[in-house]
Amino acid sequence: MTAITKHQSRQLPRATAAQPAPRAASIITGTMDLLSSVRFGVLLLVLLALASIVGMVVMQVNVEGFDKYYAELSPATRLLFGTLNFFDIYHSWYFNFLLLVLSLNIILSSIDHFPKAWTFIGRRKLDASAHWLRGQEQHAELTLAAASAREVAERISAIARTLRLRARVTEKGGATFVAAERGAWNRLGAYAVHVALLVIFVGGFMTAQFGHTGQMMLEPGATRAEMSETRFDLDKPTQSTVALPFAVECTDIQQKLLDKNGPTSPMNTLDWSTAIRVKDPVRGETSAIVRLNRPFDYRGYRFFQASFIPDGKARTVTLAVMPEQGGAAETVTIKRDETVTLADGTRIKFADFYSDFVLSGAGAASQSEEYNNPAALVMISRPTGAAAKGYAFPASAAATGPMVGRPVAGYRIQLADFEKVGAAHILSVQKDPGANVVYLGFVLLSATLVGVFFFSHQRVWARIEPQGAGRFTVLLGGNTNRSRVAFEDRFKRLTAALNEQFEVQQS
Amino acid sequence: MSEVLRHTPARLAPKVNIGDAKLISYLPVVLAVGGAALLAFLRLRAGGEHFISDGALMMLALAAYLTAAVFHLTNLYAPSHLFQRLGLWAATAGVFCNLASWSVRWVASYERELNIIARQGGEMPWFFRYIPFANLYDLSLAFACGAGLATLLIAHRQSFRFVGALSLPLAAIILVLARFIGGEIANLPPVLDSYWRPIHVGTASLSYGVALVCFAVAVVYLLKDGIKTEAMAVWSSLFALAVLFTISRCSVFAPATFGTYSASTFIGTPSGRAASLPLRADVPYVGWLLVLSGLLLVAVIATFGLYLKRQDERARKVGHLLLKLLLVAQIAAVAVLAYQVKTLTNVGAHVNRQQYARFGAFLLEQNMGREAVAALGNAQLERTAADFMRTRGDQLMLSLQSNPVELSALITALAGTLFVIIFSFKTARLRAALPALDKIDSLMYKTGGVTFAGLALLLITGAIWANESWGRYWGWDSKETGAFVAWLTYGAFLHVRISRGWTGRPAAYFAIVAFLLIVFTYLGVSYLLPGLHSYA
Repeated sequence: MTAITKHQSRQLPRATAAQPAPRAASIITGTMDLLSSVRFGVLLLVLLALASIVGMVVMQVNVEGFDKYYAELSPATRLLFGTLNFFDIYHSWYFNFLLLVLSLNIILSSIDHFPKAWTFIGRRKLDASAHWLRGQEQHAELTLAAASAREVAERISAIARTLRLRARVTEKGGATFVAAERGAWNRLGAYAVHVALLVIFVGGFMTAQFGHTGQMMLEPGATRAEMSETRFDLDKPTQSTVALPFAVECTDIQQKLLDKNGPTSPMNTLDWSTAIRVKDPVRGETSAIVRLNRPFDYRGYRFFQASFIPDGKARTVTLAVMPEQGGAAETVTIKRDETVTLADGTRIKFADFYSDFVLSGAGAASQSEEYNNPAALVMISRPTGAAAKGYAFPASAAATGPMVGRPVAGYRIQLADFEKVGAAHILSVQKDPGANVVYLGFVLLSATLVGVFFFSHQRVWARIEPQGAGRFTVLLGGNTNRSRVAFEDRFKRLTAALNEQFEVQQS
Repeated sequence: MSEVLRHTPARLAPKVNIGDAKLISYLPVVLAVGGAALLAFLRLRAGGEHFISDGALMMLALAAYLTAAVFHLTNLYAPSHLFQRLGLWAATAGVFCNLASWSVRWVASYERELNIIARQGGEMPWFFRYIPFANLYDLSLAFACGAGLATLLIAHRQSFRFVGALSLPLAAIILVLARFIGGEIANLPPVLDSYWRPIHVGTASLSYGVALVCFAVAVVYLLKDGIKTEAMAVWSSLFALAVLFTISRCSVFAPATFGTYSASTFIGTPSGRAASLPLRADVPYVGWLLVLSGLLLVAVIATFGLYLKRQDERARKVGHLLLKLLLVAQIAAVAVLAYQVKTLTNVGAHVNRQQYARFGAFLLEQNMGREAVAALGNAQLERTAADFMRTRGDQLMLSLQSNPVELSALITALAGTLFVIIFSFKTARLRAALPALDKIDSLMYKTGGVTFAGLALLLITGAIWANESWGRYWGWDSKETGAFVAWLTYGAFLHVRISRGWTGRPAAYFAIVAFLLIVFTYLGVSYLLPGLHSYA
């Protein structure tokens, strides 16, 4: 690292000497030189990497369990890390400053180097001196017999074309030249990569400035028009609400389990889905289902499955209903908070569910999240007007108690089956105007990186000079900006083919 | 076109186009991938209980990689066409077994859940849900496979086959790590059930594999460039020292517990699966062997340091002798550790009581809130742990799966010493057998560039997946930051090569550091740091 600073400070006086300008101007030139140097870029990358490593090793405020981690630190460590912004390093002023300087470095060094890269495309090198050709990483010298230099050039061009090199023949100073190349655009690839990176930076900046991410808890029947955003001030997270321009009503929640007899834990879950209805004063109503990994987009907002409240509830219950006096049993399936009507006009509402039913002084409750002793609270109203509430237990109820098997409004009701679900789903709501810009940057970056590293600019020149008596000296030379081994193959194939084509006498 | 040209194409075409000869050099890759696909298909159609298991295939892959490495190394010292071919085909067999193990695991994982879901009449989720990219074992299998594939692809040029001498042993170490982690198939955390998972983790394993090859090439570059093997010994010894200091919760060299190595314990549970406990049992003899290794490491660093600074020839000789002793000590430590773990009975008696307070807190936190436990006094915590030890202490077990990263780190340190010793043997001859420096540099640049592009794709696919699943494309989660840091380092590597005055060795150093960062991301984050990627 000291090498860089030394190098840069050596550059400064040189810049001053070259341009005897006012002092202020020389400082500006020096700064510009520094900012646009590749070495400085490498230094910035290293600094950014080091800062990121600090952020990996020191737990960040927004990570779960930060409060415990923070509590276990010594006061001195807290003070030191806090002052250095280590607990939230990625949002610290110096981290942002580093990113800003890196962006500047990318822009300035690209501007510095671009004209040279452009000459590969704008001003193609068509001829070359013998000395220069011999200095190329690949070079060869042949003596060929042919009718004319033009013929030699055409043949070389033809071979070059079969090797997928574009060839041009020119004459200059008594010599004939073939300049063949492929992938000249590859010289611009690195600049395109940098443009893509800058696009991603811009998108990231937009997200940081204008983006919002909040949480919204939804249980069936609930309607919410705001989300809660969490901000962190060391170990004290604060909640704030952000109003949405529309309301979201939850109509249903469902949890698809892997093993239906198993718990509602995440590891036994295939998918969560939340049915919502968006009520928008502008656009009216829209219904959607938000599933895990399948977010729902609406007016620049995205809704995601984030987490759930695991209190054991049921999405539907299937009840076997038998009149107390005897008669045919009827089986009905009722959704949460909904009502069905039996054949005799009696209405049954599925009002609540207890996964681990217990009767305490305060009334019915669930003593755990597990489905140890399931019971459904049902409300029955008969056409006669008589109404009552009661609990339905499974026939094989592990529980015994005063409530089990007790008739409700003249019916014996058994809980035949139920579909497990948590009490509520928590959706994460995101508004991120920067995301699309970032995605654009991603597309650019992927395309340009592939373009850069899987292609190369390969060039070959042939200098053809007559020796007299129908013989010609052909001096071949070439280079590439990457894939040197593949280029060597191509060059060797070119010379081998030339040798095959002509009566050859090695010079 | 001119008249001359009219009769040339017929003669030209067959002469210039030597593509046919090139395609055959990719045969090993095609055979390995095709064979593995065929085996997976057979497993799906005709397989069952008696089909070869993924674990057995992994062990075969491990054996094949090691065999191939031996052939590759032999070929460097005594170039022989036969050994070169044998090495290549052993590597091919290794990649075949490795990939087959991975794909057979895919089918096995599918069938496992088929039994649960189909029994209840549910519909089967899509097949990609079962792609073995779910935990660190799967990723290790794929990582090793990526490294093997990259080695085979590069080996299509004969002059680059030397890479296998270093990359295949590294791939073998990863498989050893996988063996220690243990390949039990578990349920998939639901958030991972996304089509981005195969894309994202597939990119990870391939680019990590190429990164490993890039690392191997960088080491070979330094060797060819004339770096003294004594300097390499100093660096590998520093790495080994770091390992010895940190394993077993830094107990080996801590004054209070000097010379103790302890391993995590397991306990049987009613469900039949062993559960890992945050309780370590002291393993006899291992600690002292590690102390001995540590002393030898310091001695190696000191003597070689003296030699490098003062060109002291005697120090060099002593250093090489110490290096060989060190290898013996390291081998002994690993062997005794493995033997003790396998045979130690009465594990409960080897548990140091100083861990009781912490362990008691762990036990109580199973049933109480963290705050409630924090309010309890040490005496009560210790009593809880003592009660547990009295009633269930005899059920404690040790297993090679207790500390996968520590064991693999010890083996890696051992391998480092071994390779330095190998490289020190007739170094001049070895250097002569390697291709020209600019060829190695070209390969290093190629693999480094591909890794850079691969890591960029890894970060991009990860970001998109995160945005589609959680609603944020970047959250500075430790795993993504780790990959980002490694990517930055490869970026620095690429730019160092075009910085005036820094070309040559500095680039190789960056390639080495970048790979170490990848390993840190791959293991360190999962085992040391909290975050979203804690499952893998």
